[in-house]
Amino acid sequence: MIHVEHLTKYYGEYAAVRDVSFDVKEGLVVGFLGPNGAGKSTTMRILAGYLTATSGTVSIAGLDVFWNPVEVRKRIGYMPESCPLYPEMRVEEYLKFRAGLKGVYGSKRRSRLDYVLKRCWLSDVRRQLIGTLSKGYRQRVGLADALIAEPEVLILDEPTAGLDPAQIRETRGLIRELGKEHTVLLSTHILSEVERTCDRVIIISKGQVVLNRPLTAGEGVPGELEELFVRITGEVEETVKR
Amino acid sequence: MRPMLTLIRREFTAYFLSPIAYVVLAVFLLVTGHLFYLTMTSLTESGPRGAEFPMQAFLGNEWFWLVFLFIPPLLTMRLFAEERGSGTLEMLLTAPLRDWQVVLAKYLACFAFYVVLWLPTLLYLPVLVKFDWHTLQAGIDPHPVWTSYLGLALAGAMFLAVGLFVSSLVRSQMVAALISLVLSLIFVVEAFWPPPPELDMDSLVYRVLYFFSVPLHFSRDFTRGQVDTRHLILYASVALFCLFLTVRSLETRRWR
Repeated sequence: MIHVEHLTKYYGEYAAVRDVSFDVKEGLVVGFLGPNGAGKSTTMRILAGYLTATSGTVSIAGLDVFWNPVEVRKRIGYMPESCPLYPEMRVEEYLKFRAGLKGVYGSKRRSRLDYVLKRCWLSDVRRQLIGTLSKGYRQRVGLADALIAEPEVLILDEPTAGLDPAQIRETRGLIRELGKEHTVLLSTHILSEVERTCDRVIIISKGQVVLNRPLTAGEGVPGELEELFVRITGEVEETVKR
Repeated sequence: MRPMLTLIRREFTAYFLSPIAYVVLAVFLLVTGHLFYLTMTSLTESGPRGAEFPMQAFLGNEWFWLVFLFIPPLLTMRLFAEERGSGTLEMLLTAPLRDWQVVLAKYLACFAFYVVLWLPTLLYLPVLVKFDWHTLQAGIDPHPVWTSYLGLALAGAMFLAVGLFVSSLVRSQMVAALISLVLSLIFVVEAFWPPPPELDMDSLVYRVLYFFSVPLHFSRDFTRGQVDTRHLILYASVALFCLFLTVRSLETRRWR
């Protein structure tokens, strides 16, 4: 579903992403882990079609992201880290607007709107101004926006950042459910989340993939992934220093 | 096509959700109202004084242009600068919309608001052209009115395009407004810095000045019923060029 091959991205002289290659098969939930500044957000932005890679190819659902950007974006639901929204719009207004941008109109738009509002627990605040919502609700609006056009692929950059534990649990459950119908690539710092929701884990550090393997359900001892993470990313730092 | 309509609609509505639009509308109406009053005064003065072309007093006045010049920057400053500042540009550029569609949609919404700005002045028209309600005929030649509005539409299109382009370059709305103001001043500066009277009208310097000076276009041609296509071509080509540059500016954002 998502095929990344030799992806490289330079910001001027600085290589944010260096020769990254991975695959996300259809219907899987893949966790994208890495220290801050490792290149997670950059990779996701390239996948979502916001940035252009310096070299390498990315294809989603068989379509190349560079040569066929509009078609690819129709099949993606993207939620960036900062979850930017228009504070002066109401929740349902905003979602209707986003649906319109993604080519969903008329009665289909109305039914999708009701569906995502319900699924993301936003029905109570549908008429509220986005500027007055708390962080948790805003994340949900961002998630609803990603879902509204029934995309095949969901790309979520830190979907549970800044949420309280109860909200994290709810969102985690939602992502698990969504994983059954969509292909999900999510990035996070919360390792327990990856252990519990993802089928596969990719760890990226200093712009390179250092681990890419499937997770069996209830993988080993809780904390094992953390050990692995610290060890691997520590190792890469060592190599780089040398 | 329809995604673009959705964006135009949202951008146009967004104007009315912020106080800036209302302030601009109010100030604009004040200014045009005052000018209308001045025009009427000069038209109704007894004696051998008066104005040959009412619209000329209205639009040929360089002070009108100085005030007017503040408006396109205020209307366009938020278009891209705010989106970049708040991060919502990322959401727009990851929607299944091409870059030129985003630029065009914002531009059309902004131009629509500009049209709304000028609509109330249509109320002045029946008085300015001495409209006879019985015969439904204008008392004086109405053509200068139409040509003036045509000129206004296209000159406005030009200033708005300049503002849009500048807005796509910077993050701060204030900086965008100031830079577009300075750039727009280039088109008006002649009115405040008139060339010395001994400057030959046929000389290159004068012709270049005249070519770019928008108030001169209005006081000489548009308000007197003349449509000089050179002016229209200037407005259209600057506007199109700025729109092109804006699309390119958006595209480079993806490469950074």
